Amino acid sequence: MAPSLLEIEDLHTYIGQHHILQGVSLRIRHDAVTVLLGRNGAGKTTTMRTVMGLLHPRRGVVRYDGHEIHRLPPYEIARLGIGYVPEGQGIFATLTVDENLRVAQLSEGAPARERLQHIFGLFPDLERFRRARAGTLSGGQKQMLAIARAFINPNRLLLIDEPSKGLAPIIVEHLVEALSAMKRHATVLLVEQNFAMAQALGDDFYLIDDGRTVHQGSMASLAADDALKKKYLGI
Amino acid sequence: MRERAPVLIAAGLFLLPLALIDPRTYLTLTVAGLAMGMLIFLVAAGLTLIFGLMDVLNFAHGALFSWGAYVGFSAAALLNQRLGWATSPSVVANTLLLLGAIAATVLITVGLGVLLERVIVRPVYGQHLFQILITLGATIVLEELIRIVWGPNDQVMPVPFTFQGSWDIADVVVLRFPVVAIILGIVIYVGMVLMLNRTRVGLIVRAGVENGEMVQVMGHNIYRYFTGVFAAGSALAGVGGLMWAIFSQSVRPTMGGEQLIFAFIVVIIGGLGSVTGSLVGALMVGLSYNYVAFLVPKAAIGVTMAIMVLILLFRPTGLYGAAR
Amino acid sequence: MTPPTLTPVQAARLRERQRRLREPTLYLRLGLLAAFALVPAVVPSFQAMDLALKIALFATLVASYDVVIGYTGIVSFGHAMFFGFGAYAVALALGKFGAVTYGHLLLGFAAGVVVSAVVAVVIGAFSLRVKALFFAMITLAFAEFALILAVQWSQVTGGEDGLSPKLPGVFAVGFDAGRILGVPVTGRLLTYYLVLAACIALFLMMSRFVHSPLGRTLQAIRDNELRAEALGFQTFVFQIVSSSFGSVVATVVGGLYAMWVRYVNPESTLGIPIMLDVLLMVIIGGIGTLYGGVIGAAFLLAARTVLPDLRTLSASLAPASEVLQRLSERWLLYFGILFILIVFFFPRGVIGTVQEAMSKAKASRG
Repeated sequence: MAPSLLEIEDLHTYIGQHHILQGVSLRIRHDAVTVLLGRNGAGKTTTMRTVMGLLHPRRGVVRYDGHEIHRLPPYEIARLGIGYVPEGQGIFATLTVDENLRVAQLSEGAPARERLQHIFGLFPDLERFRRARAGTLSGGQKQMLAIARAFINPNRLLLIDEPSKGLAPIIVEHLVEALSAMKRHATVLLVEQNFAMAQALGDDFYLIDDGRTVHQGSMASLAADDALKKKYLGI
Repeated sequence: MRERAPVLIAAGLFLLPLALIDPRTYLTLTVAGLAMGMLIFLVAAGLTLIFGLMDVLNFAHGALFSWGAYVGFSAAALLNQRLGWATSPSVVANTLLLLGAIAATVLITVGLGVLLERVIVRPVYGQHLFQILITLGATIVLEELIRIVWGPNDQVMPVPFTFQGSWDIADVVVLRFPVVAIILGIVIYVGMVLMLNRTRVGLIVRAGVENGEMVQVMGHNIYRYFTGVFAAGSALAGVGGLMWAIFSQSVRPTMGGEQLIFAFIVVIIGGLGSVTGSLVGALMVGLSYNYVAFLVPKAAIGVTMAIMVLILLFRPTGLYGAAR
Repeated sequence: MTPPTLTPVQAARLRERQRRLREPTLYLRLGLLAAFALVPAVVPSFQAMDLALKIALFATLVASYDVVIGYTGIVSFGHAMFFGFGAYAVALALGKFGAVTYGHLLLGFAAGVVVSAVVAVVIGAFSLRVKALFFAMITLAFAEFALILAVQWSQVTGGEDGLSPKLPGVFAVGFDAGRILGVPVTGRLLTYYLVLAACIALFLMMSRFVHSPLGRTLQAIRDNELRAEALGFQTFVFQIVSSSFGSVVATVVGGLYAMWVRYVNPESTLGIPIMLDVLLMVIIGGIGTLYGGVIGAAFLLAARTVLPDLRTLSASLAPASEVLQRLSERWLLYFGILFILIVFFFPRGVIGTVQEAMSKAKASRG
């Protein structure tokens, strides 16, 4: 087993002619929650999308469990055990909650059913609105569905992009609870602007600015470092 | 309720011509209109799914319509030559002939569809302009190939014996073949709806129409679905072409291009990615065309355009189209 | 005395203008101009003049399409329709609805331009808000409709048979004013030069439009619409202005075409063949390069004139087999294959590929 579940080395990604990622490097420990922090437009989402194979880097390497994945198509990356919860959730509004989960489910049988029950335990609303059109759910429920979809397969790595965006604080609390329960089963890479949430969940952090990794360390150390927080996060 | 509104309004409007046409002629026209609508539906359904799922404006669809007609034509001619099924009075024989022709059509058009998708469409995936140009080029090539293989002239498509003529039901002349077309259309529509809503493949196609990227992120090779939908759409177009050939009793190399514009209009009316939208739109177009052609022949195509413009004014993404 | 200081933009523009004069392509273009102008003197046959002028006309038409598709980035199938509007407007003004006078000639152009502008703005306002491919389909539907209308409204448009307008005054076929430098000054000759001058004027107009600040804004919109909007540009308005401009130019070209060919019918001015021709030409020449139209038009039209001879040649080579006969007859098949191959291997067209090669050469040198 490789020391880090996910390794990114000197990643350069372009979108059209724009040089978005100008050298991102990070290592994600097994069974930990790593938070990607930084200003808007720093390149956090682009990093996630590159890992997921939605973007191909021009330079650099992405290694998952020791294997290079940066040239694979997204569906192969997903099948390696990586779940993705994009910004904006990406749920299928015209499909029901149940159908959304079924699209995500890559295996059938007893273990899958067990996992589904586990998910309903974490998110009881999803069970209640199983047959409802996903588009009619509230913002918080949609976010829960998006996370549930990533969790329904036994994925070892979860990429979660700004889950708290646009949600009321009490829903955010619920999310933190659910994610805390999940982090026992998977490694998480989390992009989150809500620092309180990041602090509650995160073990390690990486700071991205202008497409580069500029700082890293443990979450505890960052929480104590006011100068750093002010410089890069404005808080 | 909102979803049913367009259907109800349309249904209401289509009773309007009763004020201007006597009931018997109205019924004959209705049958003809429904049949024409069903055939356009076959072409439009494939087009709208290809468009919705793959974001591809498939001009070659018309060429597949023509190829379907010609292949079916040859298959029918062959079966008749060897077994005399088209001229025999037996209903079974005639039906088998029709099914045989349809089978041949489906086989060839699926093959062509897969070939087109892999070789022509996929390399330019994502670049709209080039993909339009390249399907146009493919259409030209396919149409010319028809002229080379079958000759450039219009030919007469014989109608199998039992489907010729009409029934006389209470003084109303009901042509036989249109009824066959309507039945086929209903069967295919129901089949498609079941497939989309009750199967896993259909589920993923529906998800893909909404968000292709997310479907991939969930571990599905969407390109395989692209090929499948393209092939299925091609087969539908081909069968539509064959049925249209029998309906109009002729095959022409340009028949695909002529009908494709109707299909486009129906996709615009019905909305991208919606099979039900295609059905409703196609029936609207078929019926309105027939009623108006009877009343004011030259205005027939104008009415079709007018419907399209009206729908665009109120629902720019089509009746059942998702707002993207 | 110190020279007045220029703002950075002014300085950049000055540098660019100076550079343009030194560029070899300027002389290429002047040479091209001279070639067109001298055709009637050097090769006085009607075929040569016809070919040259048709190349000029189609080059301008393709350039106007390039403004819409290459510079604004909107895929539209209505362009042939606008061309047809111009042709029919002039034909009707000189024929059915008017008299054969200069006044009516101008009136025809004006009417065509007004109708086209209105239709272009309406279609644009309507449909630019929907998905790009949806818009393309809608323009196709409208173009088809225009075609069917032209065919069916035969009292006005002459239906399938079309119209044969006569030209007024010095442009009339019968006009003859002796010779200048050994070249007979006929109505034909004068029409040739008028149409050529008009094409050049239109071309220059489009070139200025594209290089103007408005034109550059459009390219910014084409390249990244969201960003342009974020920068404060009302992309929608710009797109309508630009596509209407391209459509109006197409209309004028249509009128000029009617003047030269003196025969207007649905098939030759409104139909799919014209649209396909324009598409093929723009792709051969290169999208987003105005002058690509010249190459595309020259290639296609020259090929068409040579083809009948090729056909008779190939027919004589394989008289026995009917399939081979048909294969050689169906030159459209080869065009279709050519089309596909060009899209695959030379998507940037002739000029585009050359431009790319040159910039790569510059990059590797610098």
